[in-house]
Amino acid sequence: MTIQPGLTGSIFFLSITGSSMTEAILVVLIIVPFFAALACLLIRSTACRACIVIATAAMLAVSSLLLQGPLAPDAGLRWAGLIDPLITGCDFLLLAVMFYLGCRYRHPLIVLLTAGQLGLFVRLEFFVFAKDRGHALFQVDVLSLTLVRVVCLVGGLICLHAIPYMQAHEQHQNPARSRQPQFFALLLLFLGAMNGLVLTNHLAHFYFFFELTTLCSFLLIGHDRSKEAMDNALTALWMNGLGGLLLLFAIQGLYGQSAMLDMTGLAAATAGNQAALLPLSLLLLAAFTKSAQLPWQRWLLGAMVAPTPTSALLHSSTMVKAGVYLALRFAPAFAHTLLAQGLMLAGGFTFLAAAALAIGQRNAKKVLAYSTISNLGLIFACAGIGTPAAVAAAMLLILFHAVSKGLLFLCVGTAEQQVHSRDIEVLRGLCARMPLTGMIAVLAVLTLIVPPFGMLLGKWLVFEAGADHLVFYLMLVLGSSFTLLYWVRLAGTLLASGQVEGFKPERQPLLSRFPLVALACGAVVLALGAPILYGRLLPGGQTWSAGRGGVLTTAVGSFPLDVLFAVAALLGLLALFGVSRAMAGRKAFPYLAGANTRLPDHFVGPMNRPVRAMVENSYLAPFFGEERWTLWVNLAAAGFLLVMLGGALWQ
Amino acid sequence: MQTTALALAVLGAALLLGGLLSGLDRRLTARLQSRQGPPFTQPFFDVIKLLAKERMVTNPWQAFSPLATLSAAACALLLFAWQGDLLVILFVHMAGGVFLVLGAMASPSPYSQIAGQRELWQMLCCETLLFVMAGALYLTTGSFRVSGAAALGEPLLYRLPLLFAAFLLALTVKMRKSPFDLAGCHHAHQELVRGVFTEYVGPHLGLLEIAHWLEVVLYLAICSLFWATGPWGMILLPLTAFLAVIVLDNVSARLTWRWMLGWGWGAAFVLSAVNLFWLKG
Repeated sequence: MTIQPGLTGSIFFLSITGSSMTEAILVVLIIVPFFAALACLLIRSTACRACIVIATAAMLAVSSLLLQGPLAPDAGLRWAGLIDPLITGCDFLLLAVMFYLGCRYRHPLIVLLTAGQLGLFVRLEFFVFAKDRGHALFQVDVLSLTLVRVVCLVGGLICLHAIPYMQAHEQHQNPARSRQPQFFALLLLFLGAMNGLVLTNHLAHFYFFFELTTLCSFLLIGHDRSKEAMDNALTALWMNGLGGLLLLFAIQGLYGQSAMLDMTGLAAATAGNQAALLPLSLLLLAAFTKSAQLPWQRWLLGAMVAPTPTSALLHSSTMVKAGVYLALRFAPAFAHTLLAQGLMLAGGFTFLAAAALAIGQRNAKKVLAYSTISNLGLIFACAGIGTPAAVAAAMLLILFHAVSKGLLFLCVGTAEQQVHSRDIEVLRGLCARMPLTGMIAVLAVLTLIVPPFGMLLGKWLVFEAGADHLVFYLMLVLGSSFTLLYWVRLAGTLLASGQVEGFKPERQPLLSRFPLVALACGAVVLALGAPILYGRLLPGGQTWSAGRGGVLTTAVGSFPLDVLFAVAALLGLLALFGVSRAMAGRKAFPYLAGANTRLPDHFVGPMNRPVRAMVENSYLAPFFGEERWTLWVNLAAAGFLLVMLGGALWQ
Repeated sequence: MQTTALALAVLGAALLLGGLLSGLDRRLTARLQSRQGPPFTQPFFDVIKLLAKERMVTNPWQAFSPLATLSAAACALLLFAWQGDLLVILFVHMAGGVFLVLGAMASPSPYSQIAGQRELWQMLCCETLLFVMAGALYLTTGSFRVSGAAALGEPLLYRLPLLFAAFLLALTVKMRKSPFDLAGCHHAHQELVRGVFTEYVGPHLGLLEIAHWLEVVLYLAICSLFWATGPWGMILLPLTAFLAVIVLDNVSARLTWRWMLGWGWGAAFVLSAVNLFWLKG
């Protein structure tokens, strides 16, 4: 007699209920990606790999939606005896690999930093941490739920998009032996590591996942093995290694204060404890390196040499969010201290300076990188402000940024494979060549800057929460205006074509198109649900309310989301009507300083020859050029970090 | 239903006011230049004529942009009329500018492209100054809602004199008047033809003109916040500002964008920041 597989599955499913159900979900979220990664590495067939990736992405997406907080405090605790030594062992393995990499690439800094971590880790693990750790191993609250869903849903879609992308990428690179198995194994491994990072409640385990994402990042940046890629990967490794070392010092200090490794417990227990401020400030410095905040932006900018799925997944949507996650997790511990003020200013400065540097860039991926750094700065500043409203705003920003920025990266990557350049001027008029990708990219930009979309809602909350701090408010005002400038310029350049034909989507593989369309829909739908989301993200029992219907009301203002969406919908209808009418009418050629030829961008020049009218954007290099300003901006940022540290020591 | 009727009434009044102000502008400018000038109602006839013309575009985005710019301007104005949050009003108004620039940049015409970039710098100037003003409104009244200004009991101008000076710069930029008519002025003889409007004809140009009226009315409404103690102050202060801008337009030549960003906006931003700190201190 045979039992139907489906039946066994459902019996298995029914038999696990309550807390064991949650445990099963945690296993799927954290452990399954590791096995899927292993499978990717071992099975070298392309079709099988695609199936594994799709199945894992689907499984993660469903599990992340099923996951509900809060957890029973004993969730997973019965396996603590197994998990603990396993993670400690893996930690040693990880550090050994990093040490080896440092030696192999003759990078003394990496060797030194890894040796430091190894020494400190041994000391902590064997001599400091007491063996008894009776606290919850996992933590599922709104913060970790937000991040888990970002990782699984956005990350899953990016992985799907990577399947056709990497095939085309490899055709272009043409290596002797396919490196796609490693690539996808690392992507999936990373998803598991990231889920572990945001779900664990154990600071030592957090450190392991933190370092694991660093290693994934290194390997993925160096995937193409070119000299530039390897150099940039090593930069990322040493900077994040420094972050790891700082994190270990912070763990040591925090453990010294309250003798526990329970993350939420620590955040609550160290609140108001002056002596804990120094380790907390080290923790924030570690978070800053992970999130590539000024003056550590160099590794993230360098990481842009990696294939686009890496940039979309690690370096915009998820991994760099680990830093802000850490800051937000510990925000209650340093609320209302000088350290928090310093964090707010340092974050605000990064928001402003990175936005200014983005204006001077003509490499599309670097614009995206700077804008990521800038947005993360804003989220850090929210953690610094520390009010419930600001923390909820930070989570909204994380969510909307991940969706829109991931989408933009995918669009730029898709376009790059067609035009073979990342230069904004080469991407000029993309909407004519690749109508669907181009329009989705423009839509993604609009979701970042225009109401009623979510990003602006988050920014509005930050404006209202930060208005009491004048210097920060001015940074916010300037930074927002700069942000608007580079985004509109980018979108306008993509649109700039003399094309008069109607909209005909280009041909592309289903797995390229589906993530683009799904993320674009996600960005719009999420914005519609923003008031509900905001209501859920706020901790219960406070005076702030989501208000009537679609109006988000705070103590000092209101955001009438329903009105704005109604106007946007009305506009959409009108526009459909207006555009189709205009397209049915007569077409004209643009005005080009001379009589038009048959071509949209040529005019009749001297000797009756056609001359192409060419125009390039102004990137204002003297004012916003990277070469000129990076040093000064870094010095200023270092100054703000010193202020932050000084604030910690002063109190 | 009542709300809709009221909203339409507000928009109608704003349109009437915007058109008349535009007529006043043209008449006054003509007189300053020793000309007779058109009747006050001329702008309405101009716009009606534009709306009745044939639709022609050089790309589909040009049919969309004017609609988006107009709806953003109308929405911002309505939010103001309903005493909304000044930050939200500014965000919505800013969206109108975004679509204007996108419409200009969607065409490969160098005139419209360069003007699109300049319009972005002009937006940078206006937005920063107005957002600082919103911060000042919050510091003085404890709320970002525009209703706070009326509830204050004394003119905001007493507390925000430097910010008012900065606001005048933003108003000049917004009204597309010299010395800041960089991205598209009313006269088609400048170096960029008509700047961001170069590529538009007929009804689309008409919609953009209406959007411009509404935006000027919105700015004057924001200006009235500086003296919101009674109807006289709320009428006289914006009117004076409006006339001052027209006189300035006629006595000054266009400056380069470098000057606008470097000196004009730089000085205005410093002034408004100083005002902000002074309020707090």
